[in-house]
Amino acid sequence: MLSEIIIVVVRGIAIGSIFSIIAMSFNIVHNATGIFNFAQGNIFILGGFGAYILANQVGLETWIPMLIVVSLAIAALVALQGWITLLPLRSSVEQDSWLISTVSISVIIAAVMLLTQGPFAFTVLGPTPSFRLLGSKTPGAYGLAIGAMVVWFLVLRFFLRRTFTGLAISALSQDFDAARAAGLPVRRLQLIAFAISGLVVGSVGFLVAPVISVSPDSGMRYVLNGFVAAVVGGIGNNTGTLIGGPLVGVIAMLTAYKFGGAYQDLASLIVLVVILMLWPQGLFGRAAARRV
Amino acid sequence: MTTRALSADAGAAGSSPKKQSFNSDFSQLLIGIVLIAMTGLGPSLLGNSYWTHTFQLVNIYIAVAVFQNFLFIDAGQKSFGQGAILGLGAYGFAIAVGLNGLPLLVGLLAGIAAATVGGLLFALPALRVQGFHLGFVTMSAGIVFPQLIIHFDGLTRGINGINVRMPWLHEPVLLGLSAMTLIVSVFPILALVLHYYIRRSPLGRRMRIAAESPEAARSLGIRPGLMRSLAFVIASIGTGISGVLYGPAVGFISPQGFLIDLSFVFFFAVVVGGRGQLLGPIIGIWIIHVLPSVLLVQLVDYRLLVYGLLTLFVVIVFPDGVVGTVEAWRRKRAQVGGGERGFRLDRFTEVIRAMPPRKLASSDTPIIEVRNASKRFGQVVALDNVDMVVRPGEIHGLVGANGSGKTSLLNVLTGLSRLNSGTYEFNGKDVTTAPADAIANLGLGRTFQTPRIFSSLSVWENIRVGLDARNSPLEPEFASLAATLQAAFENDSPALLSHGQRRLVEVVRVVFKESSILLFDEPAAGLSPQERTEFSELIKLLSRTLGKAVILVEHDLDLVWGIADRITVLETGRVVASGEPSALAVDPAVQHLFVGGRRA
Repeated sequence: MLSEIIIVVVRGIAIGSIFSIIAMSFNIVHNATGIFNFAQGNIFILGGFGAYILANQVGLETWIPMLIVVSLAIAALVALQGWITLLPLRSSVEQDSWLISTVSISVIIAAVMLLTQGPFAFTVLGPTPSFRLLGSKTPGAYGLAIGAMVVWFLVLRFFLRRTFTGLAISALSQDFDAARAAGLPVRRLQLIAFAISGLVVGSVGFLVAPVISVSPDSGMRYVLNGFVAAVVGGIGNNTGTLIGGPLVGVIAMLTAYKFGGAYQDLASLIVLVVILMLWPQGLFGRAAARRV
Repeated sequence: MTTRALSADAGAAGSSPKKQSFNSDFSQLLIGIVLIAMTGLGPSLLGNSYWTHTFQLVNIYIAVAVFQNFLFIDAGQKSFGQGAILGLGAYGFAIAVGLNGLPLLVGLLAGIAAATVGGLLFALPALRVQGFHLGFVTMSAGIVFPQLIIHFDGLTRGINGINVRMPWLHEPVLLGLSAMTLIVSVFPILALVLHYYIRRSPLGRRMRIAAESPEAARSLGIRPGLMRSLAFVIASIGTGISGVLYGPAVGFISPQGFLIDLSFVFFFAVVVGGRGQLLGPIIGIWIIHVLPSVLLVQLVDYRLLVYGLLTLFVVIVFPDGVVGTVEAWRRKRAQVGGGERGFRLDRFTEVIRAMPPRKLASSDTPIIEVRNASKRFGQVVALDNVDMVVRPGEIHGLVGANGSGKTSLLNVLTGLSRLNSGTYEFNGKDVTTAPADAIANLGLGRTFQTPRIFSSLSVWENIRVGLDARNSPLEPEFASLAATLQAAFENDSPALLSHGQRRLVEVVRVVFKESSILLFDEPAAGLSPQERTEFSELIKLLSRTLGKAVILVEHDLDLVWGIADRITVLETGRVVASGEPSALAVDPAVQHLFVGGRRA
């Protein structure tokens, strides 16, 4: 009983790591543009789709180059999406056109997947061996998910704090006009932020393809749970997502374990509403609070 | 140029036969009714039963999209979950009538009740958050709804769905038209007419203001949360009735009919048709739903792709949507107003000047009394132990450098932000913790540093929202003035007003609101010298004739010293001097304000 719970919790943390990564990719784009990319869930699934097409049942020597190819391709795709999304905006976020265009791009990605591959989920076999956890066989991709969360968190932290481009992107989150007045190429930085978000979710979609349902209609789940993770951690705060993601993942897995899988999304919705009602700033606030 | 001047003069004279109306809501309403009647009755009149059946559903979708348009634009609530609300209505009815054989009326009420409960659940988070937060919450609800329907199969029959066949509704009753055909033709028309009338009503204007500028709404005594909840309830009842009609029209309901895609259809229809245009949702449903899934049936697999691409195309190329683009073009050509005579105060001032001065009830109760008021934002102290007293009818100047706490103090007085310590009494009543709308209703009005002028309302409607905020009728002099302003500015577009004119419109709006004190935040910024003179004249009249107290935050010290009875000087959140203008002018603590030729 206890070991079952532990297994559920570990899997929850692993699934939650995925939510956390999606939340981080939300944050990058949001900090740089004020936009929330509703298509992020389907872009994530696109990574898994890439794994299915290019790297199913292959050895490590093909798998790793394909991981890089798929990640870069998705990064380019998301940069293109960013360009389209930013077209009517001219860096103003007051209009709601981005809300509509990101939702419609999400619908387009799902529709293309549906048309090319049908409505069914694909099985993707990865090269990482499964490991035993308290006597239960656990797919290696769960380990990869947790690892990817930690690695991407550290990489992003380094990028945003130690590189010029990263610092410039962080500066955007404080004040667009000031950044532009300081001579920063705002639009190009925003496109870079979009591309990085694509790199992050695309690579992780590829990595964890064996344990997610790669199907046209599962993107919604991930966009929803990723958003809940971002809200729990405080929007814009990547450190918060390290707690927010796993927390949401564990709650979802425990709900599935106790009440059945049909209640997973309901549980996330309830968490979302409760957090928004009680702590709209998230449990950990916003790291980049404005200093006046 | 000549024609422009002529029409402006005609407007000023109070008769404006040449002006086109500011918005085309009425024409759109008429066209909409005709279109709905065509899709509703046409197929039956042509005797094609397949089309009859298909277009019954189209008309139900149109009704849902009309309510989505209202909720999205008039009330500013971005809901991605209206498909779930429709489903709740459908299931409420089907469970009552289809499964339990209850009377139709009970089914109708059950459907409406279920949808309304759903709408209230949406409105709950909308009280705290807006924008994309609300979008995510409602979208999640749209995703979860069919899952729950499948899961609670004891109640809903799960994936098997519920039969709601009512053949008698499809029997011809009139001119070969069935009852169902008549109902689904009339209902969307009623929905459209309702939207038209809500928009023209004070309630509709309140909703739009609350959506565009919650703080301006609260300063007019409107509670944005109440407006949002009301909008959700209205939209849910309408969508719920559509859901009730859905079952008998299709004959069968199942969770597959209410997937998240359906919510997107309604949302996209509003965007593609033209956000906020009455006709928008009808055209939108035609393009998004009818075109791909009815007329091009063989392309049914590409439906989602077509929705997505069309919406993306429209939002990039025609951000106003199809109807919105036409309307923007019409408005650009027909737009009137602006120019030198776009908006002036003189007539307004004349009317007040002609009124007999009001006797102030001799009372010692100050209108505003603030004691030991402190306000901090994190480490920053915006107000530090401020004391301030404003007596009835007094003109009180509030001056100080930028960042000295003037606007912070105004926000506290308005109730938009709350003191960390200290007390605030309004007319002898403790309002330290009262919300802004309550203080506004006690008799406080304010203008903002950036004027809150609503571009979707005409110049007159922008003024009228001040009248909407009244609880008692206007004085007769003002009533006739209001009629003159209405005639002159009913069809003028605020887009053509200069910055200074926008301020004056906001000033007139807040003067029409019932108030015993008015707060003006840098009202003279952007006014021409002549407008400045007129404006200070108006302030004097407001105080001397109408007996209103005035707090004036202003950088033009000449103006302040010229009209104020008392002046408070703020510096880094503290009151450094307070008193009569003549005494203050020689106060050493204030001298440095005048450095550089008596202008700061």
